[in-house]
Amino acid sequence: MATVSLAGLEFGTLSAIAIRGTQVELFKAGSGAPLLFLHGLDGLEGAAEAMRALAEQFTVYAPSHPGFGGSQQRDGVNRVDDLGYFYLDLMDQLELQQPAMAGTSFGAWLAAEILTKEPARASSLTLISPLGLKTAERREQYVADIFMVAKQELAKRMQVGEPGPLQNVMDLPEEQLRRAMRNDEAMSLYGWTPYMCNPKLAERLHRITCPARILWGVEDAIATPAYHEAWAAAMPQAETATIEGAGFRLHADQPAAIAARIASLAGA
Amino acid sequence: MDIWQFSEQAYYPAFEVPGNMRVTLPQSECDPVEAGKLLNRYLDEYMLADELGLNIMINEHHAAATCMSTSCMTTLAILARQTKKARLLALGIPLANRSNPLRVAEEIAMADCLSGGRTEIGFVKGASYELFMSNRQPTGFMDRFWEAYDLIMAALTNEGDNFSWEGEHFHYRTASLWPRPIQQPTPPIWMTASSASSAAVYGKMGTVCTTFLSGSVARSVFLGYRQAYAAQFGHQANRDRLGYLCLVACANDRSEAFKRAEQMKSYFATAARLEPTFRNPLGFNPVEANVKMLMSGGGGGFRPLMRNGKPVPPDGSIEEYMDAGLYFVGTPDDVYEQIARFHDDVGGFGHLLMMGQAGELDHAATADNLTLIAQEVAPRLKELQEVELDARYEGVG
Repeated sequence: MATVSLAGLEFGTLSAIAIRGTQVELFKAGSGAPLLFLHGLDGLEGAAEAMRALAEQFTVYAPSHPGFGGSQQRDGVNRVDDLGYFYLDLMDQLELQQPAMAGTSFGAWLAAEILTKEPARASSLTLISPLGLKTAERREQYVADIFMVAKQELAKRMQVGEPGPLQNVMDLPEEQLRRAMRNDEAMSLYGWTPYMCNPKLAERLHRITCPARILWGVEDAIATPAYHEAWAAAMPQAETATIEGAGFRLHADQPAAIAARIASLAGA
Repeated sequence: MDIWQFSEQAYYPAFEVPGNMRVTLPQSECDPVEAGKLLNRYLDEYMLADELGLNIMINEHHAAATCMSTSCMTTLAILARQTKKARLLALGIPLANRSNPLRVAEEIAMADCLSGGRTEIGFVKGASYELFMSNRQPTGFMDRFWEAYDLIMAALTNEGDNFSWEGEHFHYRTASLWPRPIQQPTPPIWMTASSASSAAVYGKMGTVCTTFLSGSVARSVFLGYRQAYAAQFGHQANRDRLGYLCLVACANDRSEAFKRAEQMKSYFATAARLEPTFRNPLGFNPVEANVKMLMSGGGGGFRPLMRNGKPVPPDGSIEEYMDAGLYFVGTPDDVYEQIARFHDDVGGFGHLLMMGQAGELDHAATADNLTLIAQEVAPRLKELQEVELDARYEGVG
C-alpha cells in the first residue's frame, strides 16, 4: 500500500516497512530516547498534536496497526492478543529493545497486551484512556458502544474540543476517506465482540513490572468512572491520574500535558 | 410462471410509534395477544393460498415490527403440517447471521420430511442491521456465509458415514441428520442477487436466483445469471431458475385495487425507517464500497428507477412504484398485463414472489386479493410465452 504524506504530520517522516511480509506504515519523528507510540481508534492522524509534543523529547516510533491507516491487514491476526505478538516482531526488527511505551485507547490496550507477553520490553508504560478490560458486565455497560452511536454524535463525544481529522467522513478527500474507512473496518475486526476487550487481560496485567501510569480525562464521555476504577484495580502497580479539560481523546484535548506525563514517567 | 404468496407478517399497530422500526424499537410497544392474533391471521392467509393453488414464501427478520416471523423454519414447519399442495419456500435463512448452521440443516431436513418433500430453501447473507442482534462478526461476513453453505449442503446430501467439520468459523465433532431430507440430493436451493455480478455466481452454481423489488435492474441481474449459467452448463437456463419479488394489489374494481395498494404501501415507508448507523455497521461493507458510496455523496441506498430514468422518491406514489415495476395494481386484466409486460421487459422469469399482503391490508381484502390473483391472473401467467432469446437482451451489454 502506498504511503501518503499526512496532514498534521509534516514534522516527521512516513515510511513503509515489512514485518514478516506485512507492509506496515511507520511514522518517525524527533530525537532523543526511543518512544513507541501506539495510536488509538482515531488513527495516527488523531494523535498528531500529542506526537508533535513528544517529538521534542523523544525519537517517536508510531506505526499504524495492521488494518489501520496505510498498514496491511495480516491473515490470522484478528485479535489484539495476536497484534501483541506481531508487535514484538516489529520491535525486534526496529531494534527497540526497551523503549518508553505509550498508547491511547485501542493502542493502550495493545501496549498492555505486548507487555503481558514480554514484560521487560518497555522502560515505562503510559496508558491513555485504555480499552481492553471487560467493557460491560451483563446489563451494565462501562464503555459506550461506539458501534451503535451515530458517527457525528460519536465524533462530538470523543473529546472536549474539536473532533479529530478523520472523524467527519462527509468532507474528506478520497485518500483520507479510505484511511478512515480502513480504521472503521479494523475497529470492527478487533473490537466488535467481545466489545473492545480481551476478557483474559485482567488476569495477565500483573506481569507488567515497569513504571506505569494510567491517564483519564476528567470529562470522559466514553468510559465510565467504574471502568476507570476497574483499570486501577486490575493494575495496582500503576499510578492513576486524571487530567482537567479533557475527554476520552485526552491526547487531542491536552497534548502538552500528556507529553509531559509520559516524559516525567520515562525520566526524559 | 408460478406465484408464491408472501407476507412479512407485520405488527402494523406499531407503525404509529415514531422512529426506527427495527433494532431500537422497544418490545413494550408489542401487545403479545394482538401479535398472536395477527400471526394466526397471516397463517390462515397462507393456508388459503395453498387451497387456491398458490405456492408459499416465508422470510424472517429480528427486532422488527415490520416482520414478526423471527425464524423462517419455524413458520415453515407449521405450514408443512397444515398445507397440502403448496411448495414452501424459506427465503431466506440468514446464514452469516446464524451461529449454528448444522442446526439449520436439521431444521430443513425435518421440515422437508413433515411436508412430504415440499420445501425449497433460500440462503441469504442476512441483513446488515441484524448483526446488532446476532452479534456475529461484521468482517468476514461472506466467508462465513460460504462456509455455512458448504457445511449445510454436505450435511443434506450425505449418504456416507457421519462426518466431522473443522472449519474457520464452524466446528462439529459429528454431523448427522436425523431425519434427513426427503428431497435428494437437496431441496431446491434459492439465492438472491441485486447485480449482474452477484447473479453470475449463482448462475454458475445453477441455483434459483431471485431479485427483490429491483424493477428494471432485474433485467441485468437475469442476464448476468443466464450468461454464467450458459457458460457453465452449455445450454440456456430455464425460466424456472429466475424469480422476481414485488407487491400485487388486485380487485374487481380498479379504485378498490388502488385502495388496497394504499393500505399495503406502508411496507415501503416502514421498511425504510432505520437510522444509517444501523444500516452499515463498521466492518460490514468492504472499504472500497464505503469509499465509493461516500465519494458519490452516499448513504442514500438503492432506489429503483422509473421508465423516465429517475429514481422513485422515498415517499413515492403508488403510480411511481408501478412505473418502476415494484407494484402491480388494478383489475385482474390490469395486473396480468402489467406483469406480462414486465416479464417481457426483463427477459422472462419463472417465479413471481408476490407480496399479496403487506402493511395494513386487512384479512378480508387479502383473501379477496389472493383469490382473484389465483383464479383470474395465475392461469394466464402460466401460459406466458418465453421471450425470444435474440430479442431478450437486445441492447444490454
